Amino acid sequence: MNLERIMQVDRRIIYLFVAAGTILPIIFVIGLPVSITPPVQMAFDRIENQLNPGDVVLVSFDYGPSSAPENAPMADAILRHCFSKGIKVIVIAFYPLGGLSEAVNELNTVVAEFPDLEYGVDYVNLGYKDGAQAAMRKMNENIHEVFPTDLRGTPTGEIPMMKNVKTYADVKLCVTLATGIIGEWWANLVNAQFGLPVIVGPTAVSAPKYYAYLEAKQMVGLLGGLKGASEYERLVVNKYPHLAEVYATPGLYTATKGMDVQSIVHLIMIAFILFGNVVYFTGKRKPRKAA
Amino acid sequence: MRKQVPLLLTFCAGMIPIIALFVPERHVSTVSTTLDSWLIIVAGFALLLGVVNVIQMNTNKIRRKSSGWPYAIVLLAGLAIMGTFGFAGAFDVFGGIATRPDGSSTPFDWLYQNAFLPLQGTMFALLAFFMASASYRAFRARNVEATILLIAALIVMFGRIPFGEMVTKWFPITTEWIMARPNMAAQRGIMIGAGLGAASMALRVIVGIERSYLGLGKGE
Repeated sequence: MNLERIMQVDRRIIYLFVAAGTILPIIFVIGLPVSITPPVQMAFDRIENQLNPGDVVLVSFDYGPSSAPENAPMADAILRHCFSKGIKVIVIAFYPLGGLSEAVNELNTVVAEFPDLEYGVDYVNLGYKDGAQAAMRKMNENIHEVFPTDLRGTPTGEIPMMKNVKTYADVKLCVTLATGIIGEWWANLVNAQFGLPVIVGPTAVSAPKYYAYLEAKQMVGLLGGLKGASEYERLVVNKYPHLAEVYATPGLYTATKGMDVQSIVHLIMIAFILFGNVVYFTGKRKPRKAA
Repeated sequence: MRKQVPLLLTFCAGMIPIIALFVPERHVSTVSTTLDSWLIIVAGFALLLGVVNVIQMNTNKIRRKSSGWPYAIVLLAGLAIMGTFGFAGAFDVFGGIATRPDGSSTPFDWLYQNAFLPLQGTMFALLAFFMASASYRAFRARNVEATILLIAALIVMFGRIPFGEMVTKWFPITTEWIMARPNMAAQRGIMIGAGLGAASMALRVIVGIERSYLGLGKGE
């Protein structure tokens, strides 16, 4: 067969392989094992070992539906971890294209699993605020001024758990689930200027840039993409076995299930890249026929 | 006046946060945080400016029957419908913007869940197909640099999936080393470069050398 033709393989064939690699693992769940990497372990340890029941964590939903398959399992795992440990959660959103709706979705999903939780006492949703950078700076002065009411319209000052939470000094940790640049602002603005410890859960494509902040100790943990989310799920289930039942719920989308798809698609892409290079070098070595 | 007033406002808006960062005086920080409150309001109006711009651009497209004009109708219809339900929800007409207190969907939430979410998800998911096709064509070991990039990419791709660890435990270890050392060094270089560029650009704007944002004509 002509090598040139093999090199110019119809892109629809590649699409077909990727489609099969995506659909089949969803139907036939493999359940591949997950190993833990240091940045995710750091994030888990921060919440598990350095926070106490009753401490307040700020969870910022800085992503939209486009990256929800990666970010939503992180949010769920973080919320489950916090609620299992008795940590209070303040939910906010800075991402304009669906951050608030994602926050409502994930909060409703996870809160339903913890019937003892009380809104306003154990968690609160302060909603969306435009102008993320200015809002982040202003929150160090007064969170109540940036978010005068919660999503239900209750004045923030009247919410029981917010009475003693006025500035970043009253919050132990910020976890941002982020797509785009908002996650970076938490690290290079809020952590750098105000010292609030920050964990970032970015999409896999943005994860590499966060290693610079992690190594500089401007972040205390990193959940890189779906892999990071699946690792966190594993850590949470290992520590709180009652959550294994939740994660085994049929039809529930989890990062661990998503990793099956990602693994197969990665393998397909690796195979195509290797195949392309083998064909390329075979073509280069083949002596050209005299004209 | 058309030039001097915006330049003065820009100078003040740029200098106040810089001074506040280095001068730990209460009255200076008060001015800076007040400015932050104004910025939050200005950001809201900037969003409105974006909406006006989208309407103008797409209305012109429809009027001129430019290429793809039917899509402009869909876009404007989407903006009008989502915008109307969003605004109405903000004034508590349909029980709020997101879900109602009893957990049922508002019209805005219904549209979000059944139109916006799957559309955005589909657009992002298409990237996997394009990336697979592009990586097959572009990832060739043509020279030393390309070979290094190719090897690093293959190790990271293998190291980020469970199969890599099944082959050898060194895949995830090497992947983490690549991310935490060479990648981090490169990212720092990029960040420092971008930071210096942003700082110099900010200084040019603050001191009035860069004036293109004023939208003035030539010679003004």
